Amino acid sequence: MRAVFALLLSFVLLVGCEQPEPPTDGSTPAMRRLSNEQYRNVITDVFGPHITVAGQADSLLRTEGLLALGAQTARITPSGFEKFYSMARSIAQQVVNEQNRSGQFQCEPASITEPDDSCAKQFFSDVGRLLYRRPPTTDELAIPVTAANDSAVSNGNFYAGIALGLAGMLTSPQFLFVIDTTEPDALGLSKWQLTSHAKAARLSFLLWNTTPNKMLLDAAEAGELDTQEGVDAHVDRMMASHRLEAGVRAFFTDFFRFEEFDTLEKDSIIYPAFSAQVIDDSKEQLLLTVLDLLMERKEDYRNLFTTKKTFLTGPLARVYRVPTSRPTGNAWEPYEFSQSDPRAGVLMQVGFAALASHPGRSSPTLRGMAIREAFLCQHIPSPPGDVDFSQFEDPESPDATAKDRLEAHSIEPACAGCHKIMDPIGLGLEQLDGSAQFRTTENETVIDASGELDGIPFEDGAGLGRVMSQNPATTACLANRLTEYALGRPLGAGDRNYMEYLEQKFADTGYRFPDLLRRIATSRALYAVSEPANNAGPLQGAATSATTLAIAESQP
Amino acid sequence: MSILLPRKPPRRQVLRGLLGGGVVSVGLPLLDCFLNDNGTALAATGSPLPVRFGTWYWGMGHTPYNAVAPKAQSGHGIVFLEETKALKPFEDQLNFFSGFGMPLDGRSNYTHFTGWVGNRTGTVPQKQGEIVSPTLDLLVADEIGNRTPFKTIDASSAGLAQENYSARNTESRAEAIISPVELYTRIFGADFVDPNANEFSPDPNIMLEKSVLSAFMEAHQRFISTLGAADRDRMDEYFTSIRQIENRLALQLQKPEPNEACLVPTKPSAPSSKKLTRVREMPNVIETHEVMAQLMAMAVACNQTHVFNLVFTDNFANVRRVGESYTHHLLTHMELIDSELGYQPLAFWFNERCSEAFATYLETLSSIREGDGTLLDNCLIFAASETNYAKLHTIDSIPVYLAGKAGGRMKTGMHIVGGGDPITRVGYTAMQIMGVPLRRWGTKSLQTSRPITEIMI
Amino acid sequence: MPRTPSLRSRLFYLVLFFCTCLVSPFQSYAQKPVDGTLGFVVRDWFTAIYNSRFVDECPEGLAVSNDEIWWRGLSKEDRARLTDNGLRSNLNRYPTAMRRGPNGENVCLNPTVVTDPPMNVVEGRYSYGVNLDGDIDGSATTKNCAHENFTHPDGTPGIDNQMYRLIGCVYGWRKGGLPELIAHERRGTSGLGMILIEVTGVEDARNDDNITVTFYRSIDQFALDGSGRPLPFSSYNIDMDGDGARYGDSLKGAIRNGVLTTVRGDVSLPFYGNYNFMHPVIKDMDLRLEIATEGTTADGLITGYYNVDRFLYYVGGMVGHTSAADSCPAMYRAAHELADGYPDPETGRCTHLSTAFEVSAYAAFIIHPKNNTRQTAR
Repeated sequence: MRAVFALLLSFVLLVGCEQPEPPTDGSTPAMRRLSNEQYRNVITDVFGPHITVAGQADSLLRTEGLLALGAQTARITPSGFEKFYSMARSIAQQVVNEQNRSGQFQCEPASITEPDDSCAKQFFSDVGRLLYRRPPTTDELAIPVTAANDSAVSNGNFYAGIALGLAGMLTSPQFLFVIDTTEPDALGLSKWQLTSHAKAARLSFLLWNTTPNKMLLDAAEAGELDTQEGVDAHVDRMMASHRLEAGVRAFFTDFFRFEEFDTLEKDSIIYPAFSAQVIDDSKEQLLLTVLDLLMERKEDYRNLFTTKKTFLTGPLARVYRVPTSRPTGNAWEPYEFSQSDPRAGVLMQVGFAALASHPGRSSPTLRGMAIREAFLCQHIPSPPGDVDFSQFEDPESPDATAKDRLEAHSIEPACAGCHKIMDPIGLGLEQLDGSAQFRTTENETVIDASGELDGIPFEDGAGLGRVMSQNPATTACLANRLTEYALGRPLGAGDRNYMEYLEQKFADTGYRFPDLLRRIATSRALYAVSEPANNAGPLQGAATSATTLAIAESQP
Repeated sequence: MSILLPRKPPRRQVLRGLLGGGVVSVGLPLLDCFLNDNGTALAATGSPLPVRFGTWYWGMGHTPYNAVAPKAQSGHGIVFLEETKALKPFEDQLNFFSGFGMPLDGRSNYTHFTGWVGNRTGTVPQKQGEIVSPTLDLLVADEIGNRTPFKTIDASSAGLAQENYSARNTESRAEAIISPVELYTRIFGADFVDPNANEFSPDPNIMLEKSVLSAFMEAHQRFISTLGAADRDRMDEYFTSIRQIENRLALQLQKPEPNEACLVPTKPSAPSSKKLTRVREMPNVIETHEVMAQLMAMAVACNQTHVFNLVFTDNFANVRRVGESYTHHLLTHMELIDSELGYQPLAFWFNERCSEAFATYLETLSSIREGDGTLLDNCLIFAASETNYAKLHTIDSIPVYLAGKAGGRMKTGMHIVGGGDPITRVGYTAMQIMGVPLRRWGTKSLQTSRPITEIMI
Repeated sequence: MPRTPSLRSRLFYLVLFFCTCLVSPFQSYAQKPVDGTLGFVVRDWFTAIYNSRFVDECPEGLAVSNDEIWWRGLSKEDRARLTDNGLRSNLNRYPTAMRRGPNGENVCLNPTVVTDPPMNVVEGRYSYGVNLDGDIDGSATTKNCAHENFTHPDGTPGIDNQMYRLIGCVYGWRKGGLPELIAHERRGTSGLGMILIEVTGVEDARNDDNITVTFYRSIDQFALDGSGRPLPFSSYNIDMDGDGARYGDSLKGAIRNGVLTTVRGDVSLPFYGNYNFMHPVIKDMDLRLEIATEGTTADGLITGYYNVDRFLYYVGGMVGHTSAADSCPAMYRAAHELADGYPDPETGRCTHLSTAFEVSAYAAFIIHPKNNTRQTAR
């Protein structure tokens, strides 16, 4: 009887149990360059918000759909290094100056004109742990400590030497690159995994877009990230923090291709309402809409494409032509488009529709392409080099609307293949001009905003949003992109089972973004590694002793 | 390593002894940057002026039959037509190249990309965005760029920092400086050492800074040696980039040669906030280019760099006129060809401005006297677009100019007709003139080892 | 082959260039009533002044300015004494010229202390405006004083515009004159004296027989585009006074084929110009507004009776009489003589001038603040 009961119990437990996470091939250990945003966040977190970062580094290259993936192949050119060096010097000088230094040091040198190796070592040790995302080695500490010593000896200035040493650390690869270090997987689920420190880094950049803080580093060193419970607890803690917003913003900034805003220009005569303020505000509007819908109200991700709720400033209200009680300045006000207003969903916001347009006109092709590549994760091939454009100019019948002008694209065989999968989507947004203002005619012809997406027709922009929300690729794309963003690598064949599992869970939880994020952050896939890193951790071996010797010799 | 073996004192230790502020050269091994090509004589007053290499870029090519008159065969004399008439005064200071081909060997023509990549690197891309070999300016900079604070300086008046046509590979592409104020600050800012200053004393802080940097570099080198092959390659480049700073610091410790051509310019004023949203309106592009040309020319005259790259309009010509809904690029495709003129008038307007801008650039370089000639006489400028006829994305006969006299090493005033030869012959010739020791350049059908001797002295 | 473009093709491309510039604006952004409301913010406000090409309406010449009257009345010695021997600039003579009262009074603030020669006023046939009093012979009635009528340039007889008659020959008030131009510029950037027009009860923005037009003052400034023009569909909070709006007079009206007209009524309006804040109550006022098809802009006319003393108070307080080239004492007398509306029950003299103002407005959202936290000081 007991045996039967035990059998039944195990059966029930098995069936009722959570489907276990499928294994993945794991990532190849990599070195990922800090993005500009991450660099600034790290400096703020380590040295405080009053330290300003002057200038910025070269941008990362968007690779396979994400800037985050460009980080692992990013290189540093001479002019690129110059920028890092200049930023580092400026930061270091601010850190040691008279106003700031007391807040940055746990110790004071015995005399500021004399060397004080122990205070220098303490400073570099504390700061180095946060900058390198692990305790610096003896070797790594020796160099900046010696610099401080040299400076005090020759110039009579302890702090100037600290600044030089700190600048050197801020331009070291150990700081500029988040480096995957590996160790054998103690649990034996995969052969290799990231070390605790590397796990802490990955978690912290995913959830907060910044370097692991002391609490997380302490937890890593105490082995807390080696157990599922430990990881879960820290993920929950970090997701409950207000700092999660920075991480979510960073992901969607990458997802929505916000770097295109940096070079966005609209013609000031054709679109007089589109000022520089509108450009900044439209970016923020998209993010506020996303944060509100996905994180605050925890709605279904697909609602992003149909939502009427958003936030506006005075300048934006003028572009949308809706009332606001705060017309001047840039205070944000929640706004809901009325049912009779044709706008719905993020695709009809300025931050998408005006971004995917020309400076002086709309573009169904650019919009269709952006929707395919950014929201559906589908790649559009490059245009052929040998296009004959003569058929696009027919003086006998000037083409009144974009739909007319693009008809030739769908007829000409060389063009149709790609344009068929872009133009019919973008045409749904044609009632939004190049600045995303609403219009019903173009060249005195009524605009027909009907189109289709993968065979499903729609009547207008709001209809396109509805069709997008029902397209299975929409949610799959988000799950894929978020996973790639977290792992820092493109997905491969070996990840298929894991992605199916993830997408299923995403659906089961009603496509709630925080749940997806949590699942990825707590999954083994995040730390699984396919091979050991060649740089098996901090500097080791003969080199260390030689350097130590050199330091010993150089002591007076 | 035994501690009993004699060891050379590390640089740091030597410098420490001198940090009381004194003579620089004692005990320090001479760095390469102080030597000329032969590794013998130090650069000194009276030695030949350095030959510099610059590139200039404009988008959307030429209007066929309206830019430079075609020629049956190479020879003296360039016939500038309506579009390029601004260049006529500079005929005897440049050479024009037409009729050179860009064979693709079956690869696609990635519009507005393949053209410049093939021309500047010798290898056409196999996929969108791919650059597999360094552009010619970097090959030249590897030869002559080690004796100046900057190996190259890259700027663009089109306001798109990433659209710069100097790259080692896909991921390693220098960003262009897009703000005249930043260009000024970079060159003539706090780290600038005026060669004509009356007094010079090496700054002990710089000596210390260099010593610290060197110490870190040694550590970085050890770190890099522990990496896997792919990462090591990236970090090697990072290391080379640090060397450039080390180089600059070393130069700041040495008294620079006085140079009468060098006059520190005034700092340009910051643009109004309105202008910042109209960067790619043509009048602003033209104005920015003028200021950048002057800054660039003076940077070169002051020997801050020997290799300099300037972009006028980008390869997708995202520039426009206010009130006009089409950019230059869109006009080349959408504008009707005027039946009487035989070309697209609005697109033609932009092409004309490009020629004028190039003329402005040459004017700026030749307005600086250097030695018994001008700065332009001591330069070789490689100017090209990414297409010939933008409307059809043609990459045959992409127009290229080589301007300047390269310190007397190049003949000018010639129109060279390629007869279908690979366009890499032009870049290869330029590199030969600049002394890059390459026996051949380019891959597949673009490979060449035949310089255009007609223009070489 | 080098070809020079022919004149015809140059012209064609010039036209094409401008057409491509204009292409985009040819898009319909039809203003739909939001909750049955259309809103406008007034940008241009100019007194309707008819100027003929050769100044035929001023047969005696333009009105003589204050400075000239002052100068004529000075002896040679006084001229030298009061102008630093002729070296003082016109601008710096102005304060002295103003204080030409027998005891040094400012004659604009005290216009009856001197007697200037009679002002040159308009004697021409034509004027903009409307027939306010209903008759075409200009005879006196219970509500009006006898006065001459004008004919509208489009031929309509019986036009009442005594304001034009009064100031139409003053140099500064004629077209392009500085006082109104400067006031216009200043209103554009200061946010002062901004009139909001709210049209409620609108079902069809082009045709509606029963609408209400209410006038408010805005406390938000114009939002301007890069060329300094107001952006349409901006939002403006109305000026509140306690729990209610500070202005808020209404007129019933109708819209026919996009032309809005109202019945007549007394309306208080905010006004600011030339450093003067005014709250004129225009009696028997009406509004006629032609709304552009896409609803972005509207142009029209406000007509009614303007209080003489209020107008003289405005003129008296103006800065810049040198550029206006008017004379306050002369205008004071002429204004009271020319007034044609609302006779004083005791003196029988009319107290108001018939007038017309040309207005232009931009589509706007008029915001009624939910909590009264924002008010202007004056």
